[in-house]
Amino acid sequence: MKSEKRVKRVRRIRVDNGLNKDMQAKLVILFILVLLAFVGLGIKLFTITRDNGERYKKQVLSQQKYNSIVLPYKRGDILDCKGSKLATSEKVYNMIVDAKVMLSKEESLEATMDALRTAFPGLDIAAIRKHVTENPSSQYYIVKKQLTYDEISPFLEMDNNNEDYPDIAGVWFENEYKRIYPNNTLASDVLGFTVRGEGGQYGLEQYYNDVLEGINGREYGYLNEDETLERTTIPATDGYNIVTTIDANIQQIVEKYLYQFNEENKNAARDGNGANNLGCIIMDVDTGDVLAMASYPNFDLNNPRDTSRLIGMKKSELNGTIPYDAVVLTESNIEEELADEEIKNANLANLWKNFCISNTYEPGSTYKPFTVACGLESGKLTGEEFYTCNGALQVSTHNIKCHNYKKGGCGTLSVKGAVENSCNVSFMLMGRQIGSKTFLEYQSKYNFGLKTNIDLYGEARTDSLIFTGDTMGETELATSTFGQGFNVTMIQMVTGFCSLINGGYYYEPHMVSKITASDGSVVKNITPRVLKQTISEQTSSEIVDYCIGVVEEGTGKEARPAGYMIGGKTGTAEMVPRDRTNYLLSFMGFAPADNPQIAIYVVVDRPNSWVQDNVGFARKLCRQILTEVLPYMNIYMTEELTEKEEAELAELNIAIKRADVIDDEEAADEAQATPEVDENGNIDAHGGDVTSSNHVTDEEMQSDDVELAPLTGNVLNVETGEPVKEGADEVPY
Amino acid sequence: MKFRTKDQDGAKPYIDYSLIFITLFLVAFGLVMVYSTSSYDASMSVLTNNDPAYYLKKQAAASVFGFVLMAVFGIIPYNTWEKVSGMAYAVSAILILLVLTPLGYEANGARRWLRLGISIQPAEIAKLAMIIFVAGLICKLKDDINTRKGMIIVLAPPALICLLVWQITDNLSSAIIIFGISFVMLFIASRDYKKFAIFAAAAAALAALLVYAITKAAGSNKFGFRGDRVLAWLDPEAYASGKGFQTLQALYAIGSGGIFGKGLGQSIQKQGFLPEAQNDMIFSVICEELGLFGGISIVLLFALLLWRLMIIATNATDLYGALLVVGVMAHISIQVVLNIAVVTNTVPNTGISLPFISYGGSSIMFLLIEIGLVNSVARKIRF
Repeated sequence: MKSEKRVKRVRRIRVDNGLNKDMQAKLVILFILVLLAFVGLGIKLFTITRDNGERYKKQVLSQQKYNSIVLPYKRGDILDCKGSKLATSEKVYNMIVDAKVMLSKEESLEATMDALRTAFPGLDIAAIRKHVTENPSSQYYIVKKQLTYDEISPFLEMDNNNEDYPDIAGVWFENEYKRIYPNNTLASDVLGFTVRGEGGQYGLEQYYNDVLEGINGREYGYLNEDETLERTTIPATDGYNIVTTIDANIQQIVEKYLYQFNEENKNAARDGNGANNLGCIIMDVDTGDVLAMASYPNFDLNNPRDTSRLIGMKKSELNGTIPYDAVVLTESNIEEELADEEIKNANLANLWKNFCISNTYEPGSTYKPFTVACGLESGKLTGEEFYTCNGALQVSTHNIKCHNYKKGGCGTLSVKGAVENSCNVSFMLMGRQIGSKTFLEYQSKYNFGLKTNIDLYGEARTDSLIFTGDTMGETELATSTFGQGFNVTMIQMVTGFCSLINGGYYYEPHMVSKITASDGSVVKNITPRVLKQTISEQTSSEIVDYCIGVVEEGTGKEARPAGYMIGGKTGTAEMVPRDRTNYLLSFMGFAPADNPQIAIYVVVDRPNSWVQDNVGFARKLCRQILTEVLPYMNIYMTEELTEKEEAELAELNIAIKRADVIDDEEAADEAQATPEVDENGNIDAHGGDVTSSNHVTDEEMQSDDVELAPLTGNVLNVETGEPVKEGADEVPY
Repeated sequence: MKFRTKDQDGAKPYIDYSLIFITLFLVAFGLVMVYSTSSYDASMSVLTNNDPAYYLKKQAAASVFGFVLMAVFGIIPYNTWEKVSGMAYAVSAILILLVLTPLGYEANGARRWLRLGISIQPAEIAKLAMIIFVAGLICKLKDDINTRKGMIIVLAPPALICLLVWQITDNLSSAIIIFGISFVMLFIASRDYKKFAIFAAAAAALAALLVYAITKAAGSNKFGFRGDRVLAWLDPEAYASGKGFQTLQALYAIGSGGIFGKGLGQSIQKQGFLPEAQNDMIFSVICEELGLFGGISIVLLFALLLWRLMIIATNATDLYGALLVVGVMAHISIQVVLNIAVVTNTVPNTGISLPFISYGGSSIMFLLIEIGLVNSVARKIRF
């Protein structure tokens, strides 16, 4: 080889021949060099795999997007009994900017900024530009929260229009739900609110939180068994809707007059609201359905932390109590008084709580029907007794006065007369006949001292706020007969009162009648539940009679709305401190008198007045509310209207609906639908079995005459004029 | 068989079936890999109408057209090109200059393309033109190439074209390839070893010096993006979110593939992490999906291809034909070596595609034309 080279040292290039030997050798060298390079690269490949394979494998997996996207659920709606929305959740959109995408094309940034400027006037474009240019690799920047669809739709249109706006990029919208209360303050204490759209606070929102809440869906990535990434979507499960027994129209009427009361009485004797608290409950006497429940002051559910709603209230302590001499929050002092965040929260909590179920107080004379019913039912009273009131009664060491003390007392009164005149002396005498054991036995039958278990958050406990056999002495019994010395809640009073009126059936009070799924299907029907029978139907009819007497003859006259007869009882309760300056006025009634359908309970807690012990405050409120509510419920008027009353109704735009407009033919048709009556006189209204209760007296059992109540179709007992209870079969004993 | 009569001596023309088969296989395999690497990105992007086969369709069309050209260039006697070698040089120079006119257009941030009915990279044409031109030049100069003057005469024209490619189309890697092709062709033809060894050593020393200067000047931005690429090459993990990103993602892909890979189509890295996965970085996805085994198999195929080219060059009937084949061999070798070197971070990141496999219409068409030239040379061989 070497010698050959030497010989052919000057081998010349000849174009007509192929490569000469030198060139061929060089070509081989070139090929070998390339092969060596290949081998070197092969070794490099091998070492990368060997040395870093595991680490890189993990690296590859770790840069995958496993992040899950939450698909928000829709919290269930709260509806009134007619289906209108009291609380709902609306889809809203958060604007997200993806800087990486926005900067991926040169023209995109400016084009997108221009589009945003046009579509969202008032948006801080400079801030977005600053973020995008300073964080070019950021992919998730929330620009604006909770935009409505209407707000974002102009931008979406531009974004989808690729002809005119080809370069818009890097802006997208994330869904979430926002809790909306369309009526702002309506039923604020009953509904409660939510924090950031979930986690109900107070009222139905908290009590039914588990029902209203759904389950968030999720979109997430995971590695399957081949270690490849897959993404899966689990859709969100929406929460259930709840249909309440509240009638938004009745609720509105009630709140209107509570507000009006406050407007008329605020700043009258002192700075602040028209009363420390105003409360009103309207309940269906035959089901325990709450048709309206309202208190004042109320608050805006869409902005529950608005402290301006606290103006006019007395400032509460850190523990939520409001001392007798607490300062009144005014526009000028509120900032200073609530500077402490905890104090502010305590005051807000006070605003948010539902007076109708969370506050306890001494009921006063509205308790008297309970006392009489106890006496009659237990047989300690016959109803034929007469009492003489000289203005006061010596009980133990106390000389307890009647309200007519200055006029020399009420004179001699029958039992009915004692109720009508609300005579304390007569009641104390009744109390002596009844005795503390029986009194307490019935108090507990009426459910005082126990929670009613209404389906609302925050019902107060009263078990330690009533007397027991050990604590009730002569004086305590005496004052208890007219509702002083022990505490109750509004819901306890009105629920118990319904049982006194409806024949003795104690229904569990409730707010929700139905739970439905988001597709409208019924998940659960909540039917009225009779818990017990407190008194017999006969005693009940006596109480109805006495209560009508109160309105016809006694202290309740002014509570009667135009065109209707109602029954009821007034109450003027002295409050602690007992310096005869603090009173809680109340009126508890039912309507209409001949066929009670609803019970109403109005409480005015310490009105803003120089003279507080004026039950007129409560009576007037009750009259105003019923004047509108009864016609709304299509209950026919039975009473003659004075000219003044007619003018009042005309002003309120209320049509006069009278029973006598119904023609005879229709009445005859209804008469034929008279239900069958079996040999015991029980009525078979539904074609099913109706068993009589133990409390039905023999006299009633023997009655064989049944007539239809005009226009309502309810069955009335001829003798008592009271409706015969349809739900008797539900009585547990 | 049809063209046998055209051969002057009436003998059966030689057709290198191994070469054609390897070429076909590489192109077909390339199409599969282009689809695998690009379908995810293409389906996600509005620019490609969300069509997963967008890149595949374009590449397939260019390949079919390329095969037609390969057949045509295989039939045309290659001596034709020797006569027009000067013109080929002029045309390639003019085409590069045309990029500056409105006929040129920009894509992916660089102005490298010409719209002449179809879009074409003049740099790809220049590679072919340079093979034709340098082979012709050497045949003209004959023994003069062994002198220093002769060497300069041979290398000066390609160097000028390289300068144009580098400066006008901002495409340093193509310039290096064009010069590399010419250099190798001259090396084969020349009698000298020493000068080439010195030249190569000098180039290596210069490169080392440059790297040293860049590391000294780190952060000063004196060397522009190329300087940053060198820094990223030295320590890719330190520049993981910037210039080192692509290289690092390619290394992740290779490393995570293991011996036999994740399986065809199973790459994770191609899903938005590895930029230009169907292009310069396609080899790393091959390694990720088919493993070390698949990657080395492809390298072996290229070795086989180069071996066939070497055989044809060695047996070519005249010097011009032999030098044409040497040029093609140089072209393919340089691109394969540099591409894999970039992917494995053996050299700094520079945009060089993998012949026959990477996505790119101009590249595949001109490579197939070059194979056509080789076929034309092979036809004359009489074993």
